Amino acid sequence: METKQPKLIVKDLKKIYEDKCALNSVSFDVKEGEFLSILGPSGCGKTTILRILIGLLDATSGTIIKDGVDITNAPASSRGMGIVFQNYALFENMTVLGNVEYALKIRKETKAVARERALSMIERMGLSEHINKKPGELSGGQQQRVAIARTMILNPEIILFDEPMSALDVATRISLRKEIKDIQKEFGTTMIYITHDQEEAFAMSDRLMVMKEANIEQIDTPENIIDHPANEYVQSFVIDNLQAKINSLVKYLR
Amino acid sequence: MKKIRKFASAHKLNATKVLLICVFAALVLIPLVRMLTNINGESLKSVLSQESFLSLISNSLVATALSTLTVLILAYVLAICVERTNIKGKEILNILLVLPMLIPSISHGMGLVVMFGNNGLITRILGFGGNIYGLQGIILGSVMYAFPVAYLMIADVLKYQDCSPYQAADILGIPKWRQFTSITLPYLRKPLISVTLAVFTMIITDYGVPLMVGGMYKTLPVVLYQEIIGQLNFEKGSVYGLILLIPAVIGFIFDVLNKDKGNSTFVSGKMLIKKNKLRDGAAYIFCGCICFFLMLPIIVFGILAFSKRYPSDISFTIKNISDALRLNAGTYMLNSVKIAILVAVIGVVLAFVTAYLTSRAKTKMSKALHLFAITSAAVPGVVLGLSYILTFKGSFIYGTLAILIMANIIHFISSPYLMMYNSLSKLNENLENVGKTIGVSRFRIIIDVIIPQCKLTLMEMFSYFFVNSMMTISAVSFLSTTKTKPVALMINQFEAQMQLEEAAVVSLAILLVNLLIKGIVALIKKISTKKKVSVFTEEAM
Ligand SMILES: Nc1ncnc2c1ncn2[C@@H]1O[C@H](COP(=O)(O)OP(=O)(O)O)[C@@H](O)[C@H]1O
Ligand SMILES: [Mg+2]
Repeated sequence: METKQPKLIVKDLKKIYEDKCALNSVSFDVKEGEFLSILGPSGCGKTTILRILIGLLDATSGTIIKDGVDITNAPASSRGMGIVFQNYALFENMTVLGNVEYALKIRKETKAVARERALSMIERMGLSEHINKKPGELSGGQQQRVAIARTMILNPEIILFDEPMSALDVATRISLRKEIKDIQKEFGTTMIYITHDQEEAFAMSDRLMVMKEANIEQIDTPENIIDHPANEYVQSFVIDNLQAKINSLVKYLR
Repeated sequence: MKKIRKFASAHKLNATKVLLICVFAALVLIPLVRMLTNINGESLKSVLSQESFLSLISNSLVATALSTLTVLILAYVLAICVERTNIKGKEILNILLVLPMLIPSISHGMGLVVMFGNNGLITRILGFGGNIYGLQGIILGSVMYAFPVAYLMIADVLKYQDCSPYQAADILGIPKWRQFTSITLPYLRKPLISVTLAVFTMIITDYGVPLMVGGMYKTLPVVLYQEIIGQLNFEKGSVYGLILLIPAVIGFIFDVLNKDKGNSTFVSGKMLIKKNKLRDGAAYIFCGCICFFLMLPIIVFGILAFSKRYPSDISFTIKNISDALRLNAGTYMLNSVKIAILVAVIGVVLAFVTAYLTSRAKTKMSKALHLFAITSAAVPGVVLGLSYILTFKGSFIYGTLAILIMANIIHFISSPYLMMYNSLSKLNENLENVGKTIGVSRFRIIIDVIIPQCKLTLMEMFSYFFVNSMMTISAVSFLSTTKTKPVALMINQFEAQMQLEEAAVVSLAILLVNLLIKGIVALIKKISTKKKVSVFTEEAM
C-alpha cells in the first residue's frame, strides 16, 4: 500500500475569487480506496476544493493529477469522479428509477442495460420499495440514498461528498454513515468527504484534513491528530469540539 | 484545448445575454429616446403655457389618488372579510372577482355609461343619475378596473401572515387597535406600498375609463390619446408622453427599492378564526355589495347584448351578435386571438430564456439584463405605443400584426418574467452541476429537468400574456390599422357611434375567450397538482 502511487495528487492549488483568496496554495494527496475527510469551519474553502477537483470550477493556479495523469483542465464528466451535494439536487420531476438511470440513458446505453443496472443499484441502496416515488415523497435520508445511487451508477473511482448529512437528523446520519462506509469497502471507491461535524469525521475517516481560512492546518490519521495536534487551532477546533460532540451524543443516546 | 471549450460555452451564455440586452434596449430604450427627441421648444411651450395645463395635471393626480385610496380601503376590507372570517363560498367569490380583470378598462367605463348615463338603465329605473361624467365617473370606473388586482395582492399577503404575534398579544391583553398599529401595519407596510404603486400606475396611465366617463374632466392619458388619434400632433403628444412617464418611472423606482430591502418573513401558524356570527354576517353583506358592484357592467352587458333596442326596448334578440359580425367583429376577434396567441408563445419563450440567464447562469451581466427585463413595466402603454409610431413609422414592420405583437410582448413581459425568475430561483442551484458531472449538457438539463418543474409557471405566464393582449387598448390603439385592429378597440368605436349593444357583445366576447383560457389553465393546474407532478403551484404575480 505505502509504495503505490497516490490516487490523486493536488499541488499548490490556489483560488482567488475577485479579490478574496479562498484557497492559498494547498497541496495534499489521496490514496487509492482511502476515505479522506475535510474538516473546517464554514467559509474556509472546503466546497471550493471539491468543485475544483471535479471540474465545476477553474483553479487560479495549481495542478491535479489522477493516476499519474494531469486532469487539471479535463471536463468534469471525464474525470471518473462523482459528487453528492448537501441538498441532494435530485431531479424532482423524475421518479427514483428515473433519477438513477438518467445518466445511463443520456450516455446512450441501451434501455435494457440502463434499466437493469439502475434496478440493481437501487436495490443495493435499499430503495426498492420506493422505486416509482418522486423525491418529494421520500425522507431526507432516502433522498440522499437516491443521490448516492445516481452518482454510483457511473462507477466513479472517486466520490466527493459536500456535507451530505447536514440536513439530516442524528439517527439517519448514523445509519447513512455506515452505508457510505460499506460502499467504500465493497466497491473500493476513494472518497473525499466534507463535514463540519468533528465526531462524524473521526468515526468515518482513514485520514483527516483540518482546514482554516484557505489553508490546511494538519492532515493525518484520527489517532495521530488526537495524539499530536499540529497547533493550538487544531487542538481547540477539532479535539475540544469533538469532546463536546461526544458528550452531547451520549446524552442523546440515553 | 479543453479550456477553450469551457470558455466557449460560458461565452455563448454571455453572448445571449448581450443579445437580449440589445433586444430590450432596441425595443424599449431607443423608442423612448426617439420620443423624447421629438419634443421641441415650441411643442413644450404650447403644452406648458396652456391655461388648462395645471388643471390637467391636478385632474390626473386627484382622480388617481382618490381612486387608489378607495381601491385600497375596499380591497383591504374585502381581503379581511375573506381571510379572517368563516364565511362560505370563498372560492366562488374569488372566481367572480377575477371576471372584471378579463375585460378592457374601456368596458368598465362603458358599463358606467350604460348604467348611469343620461339614458342609463339605472338612471331610468331609479330616476336619478345622468351626472356620471366627470371625476366621480373616473373614480367609479377606475375602482372597478383596479380593484381585483389590489384585492388579490392583499389577500395573498394576509393569507400567509403569521398568527403567533397576535396570540401573544391576546395573552398579554393588548387591545385590538394597538395590535393593528403595532403588528398588522408594520407587517403590511411593504406589501401595501407595492399594491399602492401597482394600482396608482395602473390608474394614472389608463385612458379607457376617463375617455368614456371623464366628460369635461380631462386627464393626461386622454389628452395624449386625443392629441395622437384626433389631431395627429406627435410633437405635443410626445410632451404629454414625457409627463406621463414621470409618475410611472418614479413609481417603478420606488417599487424596486421597496422590494429590494430584504423580504418579509414567511408563514408559520395558520390564523385561528374565532366563531362570530355578527362579524360573518357583516362580511357576507360587504362581499355581496362589492361583488354586485363589480359584476354590474358584466350583468348589464349581458342584458344589452341581447336587447332589441336599448334603452327603449330590451326584449330578447340575438340580432346584435349578427350585427357585430356584419361590422367585422369576427375578423377583428380573429386578429386579437392571433395576436394573443403569438404574444403568449413568443413572450413565454423570451421571458423564460431571460429569466433562466438571470437566475441560473449568473454573471455580472445578469443584473443588467434583469433590470432591462423589468424596466418595460415602467413605460405606460400609451407612451410605448406613441414611441413605437415615431420609431417604426415607414419601416416594413409598421402596419403589420408583428408590431402589435412586439409592443404587447414588451409591454407585458415584466410580470411573467418575474414569475419565472422566482420559480427558477427556487429550484436547486446544483442541477446543472449534476448534469456537468454526469456528462449531460446544460441544454438537456433544461429540457429534461428544469422545464418539467416549471410547467405550471409557464402556463400562468401564457395565460397572463394572452389575457392582457386580448384586453389591451393602450399601445395597440396607435399602432393598428383597419386591417390589423384588435377587437378591444371596437368598443370605443361602437360606443362613439352609439352602437352600445354591439359594444356589449364585443366586451362579452373578450370576456368569454379570456375565461376559456383561464379555465383551461386552471383545469390543467388542478389535474397536475392532484398527481403531485410539481412542487410549484402558485407563484406570486
Ligand atoms: N462565487 C464566489 N465568489 C466570491 N467568493 C466566493 C464564491 N464562492 C465562495 N466564495 C468565498 O470563498 C470562501 C470559501 O468558500 P467555500 O469554499 O464555499 O467555503 P466552505 O465550503 O468551507 O464553507 C468563502 O469566504 C466564500 O465567501
Ligand atoms: Mg461549503
